Amino acid sequence: MIRALFFGPVAERVGARQIALDFRPGLRWQDVRDELRARHPEAFALVSIVAVDGRRVADAEAEADAVPLADDAEIVFMSAFSGG
Amino acid sequence: MNEPVRLQFDDFSIDDEIAALRAVSRRIGGIATFLGCVRDFSEGREVTQIGFDAHEVMALCELQTLRAQAIERFALIEARIVHRLGAVSAGENIVLIAAAAEHRAPALEACRWLIDELKARAPIWKKEITPDGDAWVAPHP
Repeated sequence: MIRALFFGPVAERVGARQIALDFRPGLRWQDVRDELRARHPEAFALVSIVAVDGRRVADAEAEADAVPLADDAEIVFMSAFSGG
Repeated sequence: MNEPVRLQFDDFSIDDEIAALRAVSRRIGGIATFLGCVRDFSEGREVTQIGFDAHEVMALCELQTLRAQAIERFALIEARIVHRLGAVSAGENIVLIAAAAEHRAPALEACRWLIDELKARAPIWKKEITPDGDAWVAPHP
């Protein structure tokens, strides 16, 4: 199982803070993004930062970081931060 | 003693945070602080509250990293970062950064660096709550 997490404005547009997806060998975070972006295009228009298992992987549009996900991976799709 | 880096829903005491800094060392010669507060007006609209959301695990880790980096970069004796989450009303505290050093210059420079880096690196988002509706805030440089 892969868990996709959302916060702030992205969560509001998705209408949920978490979506679970089935794991399959070779799955990359980009595949998860593409699947979820097709379902929630307005939310993913905001996404500019991605983290896998707590580590920022790359700019959300970058394709270079194509490491396959482990089962039980957690992916966070985030908009630009605005704390402080 | 509270942890030097915290995310919390309740307000914090500036006096308590300063006292915690001072307790670390008698070599401290200067403490600089930045206190972020909720303005009651933004871009032509009345603001009653700001709501803060965060990836708490990642945000806390990032703030702890920031503190460690600031201590090394500016040769600080100690630093503390406290950021609130949830709904914060106009006039209330949002974030406190306090940096202690032997001299004023590194304390002041570290304080500025820490709040700028926090805004850029900590996964925290804020929404302005107004009588006319709510709106997520775009990042400010």
